[in-house]
Amino acid sequence: MPKLTIDDLEIEVPPGTKVIDAAEQLGIMIPRFCYLKELGPAGACRMCAVKFLQGPFKGVQMSCMVDAQDGMVVSTNDPEAVAFRKQVIEWLMLNHPHDCPVCDEGGQCLLQDETVSGGHGLRRYLGRKRTYRDQYLGPFIAHEMNRCIHCYRCSRFYQEYAGYRDLGPLQIADRVYFGRFKDGPLESPFSGNLVDICPTGVYTDKTARFRVRHWDLERAPSLCIHCSLGCHTVANARYREVVRIEGRSSGKVNAGFLCDRGRFGFGYAAHPERPRNAKIAAQNVPMSAAVREAGRRLLEIRESSGAEAIAVLGSGRSCLETLGMVQHLSRVGKWTAPDFFENPQMERKVKAIVSQLDARLAVSLRDVEKADCILAIGVDPVNEAPMLALAMRQAFRKDAKVVVVDPRPIFLPMRFEHLAVSSARIETLLQVLLQVLRQTDLAAPPAPLPQPIQLSEGLLSEVAFDSSVQAQFHALVETLVGSRNPVILCGSGVVGESVSSLAADCAEVLQNAKGKGGIFYVLPSANAFGAALLASSPEHSFLDTVEGIENGTIQALVVVESDPLRHFPDGPRLQAALTKLQFLLVLDYLPSETVRRADIFLPTCTLFEVGGSFINQQGRLQAAEKVHAVGTPIHQATDEAMRSARGEEGGGKHPPRMYDLGIPGGEPKAAWEVLDALMEALVPVAEGTWREDPWEVLKQEIPLLASWNGRGYPADGLHVVPEKRPGAAVALPLETEAHTSPSEASLQLLLVDWTFGTEELSQYAAVMRQVEGEPFLCMHPQDAERCGLAHGDALEVRLEEGSIRASLKVRENMACGVMVLPRHGRIQWQELRNLSGRVPFECIQKISTDTQVIEDLR
Amino acid sequence: MSRYPQVLFQNRKLKRINTLEEYCQSGGYQALADVLREYTPQGVCAAVQEAGLRGRGGAGFPAAKKWESVPADGAFPRFLVANSDEMEPGTFKDRVLIHAEPHTIIEGIAIAAYTIQASKAFIFVRPNYEGSAAILEREIKRAEEAGYLGRRILGSDFSLEIIVHLSGGRYICGEGTALLNALMGKRPNPIKPPPYPTVKGLWDRPTVVNNIETLANVPHIIRNGPDWFKGLSLVEKSPGTKLFCVSGKVKSPGCFELPMGTPLREIIEEHAGGLLEGSEFKACLPGGASTRFLIPEQLDVRMDFDSMGEIGHRMGTGAIIVFDQKTCLVGATLNLIQFFARESCGWCTPCREGLPYLRDLLWRIENGEGKEEYIPTIRSMCKDMWNSFCALAPGAASPVESLLTYFEDEVHEHIVQRKCPFQ
Repeated sequence: MPKLTIDDLEIEVPPGTKVIDAAEQLGIMIPRFCYLKELGPAGACRMCAVKFLQGPFKGVQMSCMVDAQDGMVVSTNDPEAVAFRKQVIEWLMLNHPHDCPVCDEGGQCLLQDETVSGGHGLRRYLGRKRTYRDQYLGPFIAHEMNRCIHCYRCSRFYQEYAGYRDLGPLQIADRVYFGRFKDGPLESPFSGNLVDICPTGVYTDKTARFRVRHWDLERAPSLCIHCSLGCHTVANARYREVVRIEGRSSGKVNAGFLCDRGRFGFGYAAHPERPRNAKIAAQNVPMSAAVREAGRRLLEIRESSGAEAIAVLGSGRSCLETLGMVQHLSRVGKWTAPDFFENPQMERKVKAIVSQLDARLAVSLRDVEKADCILAIGVDPVNEAPMLALAMRQAFRKDAKVVVVDPRPIFLPMRFEHLAVSSARIETLLQVLLQVLRQTDLAAPPAPLPQPIQLSEGLLSEVAFDSSVQAQFHALVETLVGSRNPVILCGSGVVGESVSSLAADCAEVLQNAKGKGGIFYVLPSANAFGAALLASSPEHSFLDTVEGIENGTIQALVVVESDPLRHFPDGPRLQAALTKLQFLLVLDYLPSETVRRADIFLPTCTLFEVGGSFINQQGRLQAAEKVHAVGTPIHQATDEAMRSARGEEGGGKHPPRMYDLGIPGGEPKAAWEVLDALMEALVPVAEGTWREDPWEVLKQEIPLLASWNGRGYPADGLHVVPEKRPGAAVALPLETEAHTSPSEASLQLLLVDWTFGTEELSQYAAVMRQVEGEPFLCMHPQDAERCGLAHGDALEVRLEEGSIRASLKVRENMACGVMVLPRHGRIQWQELRNLSGRVPFECIQKISTDTQVIEDLR
Repeated sequence: MSRYPQVLFQNRKLKRINTLEEYCQSGGYQALADVLREYTPQGVCAAVQEAGLRGRGGAGFPAAKKWESVPADGAFPRFLVANSDEMEPGTFKDRVLIHAEPHTIIEGIAIAAYTIQASKAFIFVRPNYEGSAAILEREIKRAEEAGYLGRRILGSDFSLEIIVHLSGGRYICGEGTALLNALMGKRPNPIKPPPYPTVKGLWDRPTVVNNIETLANVPHIIRNGPDWFKGLSLVEKSPGTKLFCVSGKVKSPGCFELPMGTPLREIIEEHAGGLLEGSEFKACLPGGASTRFLIPEQLDVRMDFDSMGEIGHRMGTGAIIVFDQKTCLVGATLNLIQFFARESCGWCTPCREGLPYLRDLLWRIENGEGKEEYIPTIRSMCKDMWNSFCALAPGAASPVESLLTYFEDEVHEHIVQRKCPFQ
């Protein structure tokens, strides 16, 4: 451990620590522009110059380029270093446009800070300023190249860190330009990070442009709930409305970066049609009246048909407090067991996954970055959990091998091996892999495996994998055997129920031998893990509820922050069932179809208005804080008030004053608070006080939390998994019968997620319209040929009652016999009644040819 | 004809290159044959080490030491890059060498590649030298046909392919690490070692970058021995001969092969024929545009790496640009700084922003807009250039800094007269 002295303070740091970081640990923030810990040293800006007085280096050196070494004596405020840094500032300001008053970066601008602190105040340079032409970079990012100080952070992040190529440095000398070859939307789904890392205002958040000054913002640490990873964010609000999301560094999840879905998908919270009033039969009523009426109706049903006639449905987008209260209410009220998943099949998969995780096997997102071998099974990182792709890329940059087993046309911003086998074959493949791993000496030093691997050869040919897959499989086994830190990623969307346990077994065998590595699951929603922990009844699912409604045993349905009409796989059936209900009570903050059908609606708060706790896919319990007060955003409220005052449509925004007792639109409460109030209405007060502390409720409902006291969280969250998982799954008999042969005239329909356009919450954000593209589906060239279809054809897929229209993308990098259909928000995929999961060829009709298929990287 | 022994230019002809046959007649490719038959890679290295061959690209780093820094267990394939991206203003020795004796370069590459066990070599050629690149390609093909290149050279186990690569054409591409980036198709930004290219170079494989003049010396060292090579020089620490390019106000500018340590006065007055009629020596740049001006009092310095270093100057590439008393040195320096400001790669701030600043100040002085306070500003900025990422900016500042050191009066004169006194 090198020990050095910086500004007369001694510090001992791990080997390889840069002097700039060592100083930071002492609380000395050496000025910098190009240096960013995640991106590593660059030495481009020369701003972090310090003077080395003793040790292996002497004189002025860049503190980001020098590793801390024993005996170094460093001065950060030596006059020579200070003078040089001042000169650097002058150089950087030569061409800067000084447009701070109209720059969104103003107030949080590193260039402003360093210019002021560096002491450069008077302009000496008399030459002309350099000017650039800005580019259109898509709906997320505004480009102002004149402000650029050429720190190369953007290109290093975009190309090296994230692995996309369409933005980078062009030209040389003082004409260096950061942009694209020509105008156009950025291809990377991580482009928003340019806003965070740019030290000045070259890249600013276009969706927040000119809306706020930084010092006026209400800011609080929050969480991203647009997928199951639970990335840490900072939410920025103004006038009762989130205007911008920034990345926040966390030790276990994200390294300060975010994907564009997580960053720009917050628009649901201030959606113009967000229901903010309680409603009875679609008429606005005060919240208290609606709660009373709801209680009365539920009591009525309990009296007439018994408590079991009431069912409740929650979902993985609610915070844990709400889910716990749902469970509690249902249990105390003796209702039918609650469901937390709209999709019964998904529920089984998530529960299986949650039961596999233990403290030893579950690796965090940051651990994925350290893997030297990554096997991704049935997971499409860029589309399902984008930040996972970024973590994988960091491992790849350190020479990790990446192998993906998935039927879909997978794109990753890195080189990887893709075994494009159908969903059913993944299971078989994993069974073979598990057997091979169990019979191979994994602890042996990596040596070339005897070719061929007898066992897998036999097994693989027995189960009829073609030779190319067999060869890829060999390579995979060899990579796993030779690895030191293998991590298995496993999805829940397109794979069968047994895959998660097989994957965990493989990970366990590997970890036992290597002492490192583990498993990383991807779940379907932000709090799916919490929902699975609470969904105590293993037998009951929402399908039972639907059946109960159909046969009349269930008469009231309470839906809490869930949209079953969107997620339940058989849309027509659910629609029919809902009409048979006597009473539908919905609590939500989204203007969803389910909300529109509610007999009574109770508005709830978003994450930004009350905070909340979520358990991510690794089992990490993390908290988001409240960001701003509940209420209609001022711009919307004043618009509304002006219009109603004048009795007209439209209207101005000024003056922004309204006279009322409460905050307009301030009625919604946290869902758990509403449920608590409902409980009070249901149960006579004499039976006890129902003012429940949601955390006391959670401790009762989740055994893993029972021993935990207090509400404070460690910085990295609380890992809510058992010490040891119940035990390896029993080895399943190997499925050797021939799988569906490709001659069969049908395709397996895979409904999948896409980065933009399929996720529930972000779909309500207006800006997503501009990036989600048109609905499409993907087929393998062989299948397309057999159906007589070509790339770009407009298709209609008609199944029983429903049909969807989408254009066809023909993709070679996917499995045969599969049709991949992203659940695009503009197609009614629920109507396909996808319970059989197969689409006969004759159901696929060509409508026209040569539609504009928007080409992306895939 | 020179009174000194000619080595690289021994077969230099007036209007054409020396052919393969002629080269072989004069003992060419014998060294390669000997090396492949009798020498281990370490043996070649030892011989070159003993001869004390130093890099001719400007820095004067011992060639054998560079080769030795390739780790013995380094990965394969390894690469050798012959640097002929001659963009330093005033330097044209590589072109003359290619047009005189291409096969000594090719043989040198083959021997050096054998020494580091490289299977592929690149000659990185300045794009303006299209003709030279064509010659190299043609002669490489001939050498291949004669069995001096290609698979299993001369019946040995050693194979080598040489690829002629025409640079994209920027000054920075001549910098070793930037050159490697350019070869890989990346932006030619320099890279700060470690790791050194000899450990992790092209595509992360060990790679050696040598100037082609350095490589051309290698066959002669093998053929004639280290002692002969040392005897060629007039000084002890820089053995061998050097190709000097003389341009500017001299009677017979050109490229001359002279011993290391030949006095500068002798090069200018004897070999370059002295100054033009009516011209008096005012100053010269001894080693290309990125070296400091030398003044008449320093003319007796010997041209070798160490003698120049002793008086605080650099020999650089040995490209001597001579200025006479009628030349405005502010204008000349402005011309140079314009070149460097344009050729900065744009990576680090001092070079990217500081050089245009210097250019602006010099332009103002030259055009009668100068002020006295510019002089200390220029001075301190020249000093700050030393804190830049690579050697481009300090090199670019060298003529400016020496202008103020030796010709401050001339600069003052510009400011006082509010015009260039030479116009």
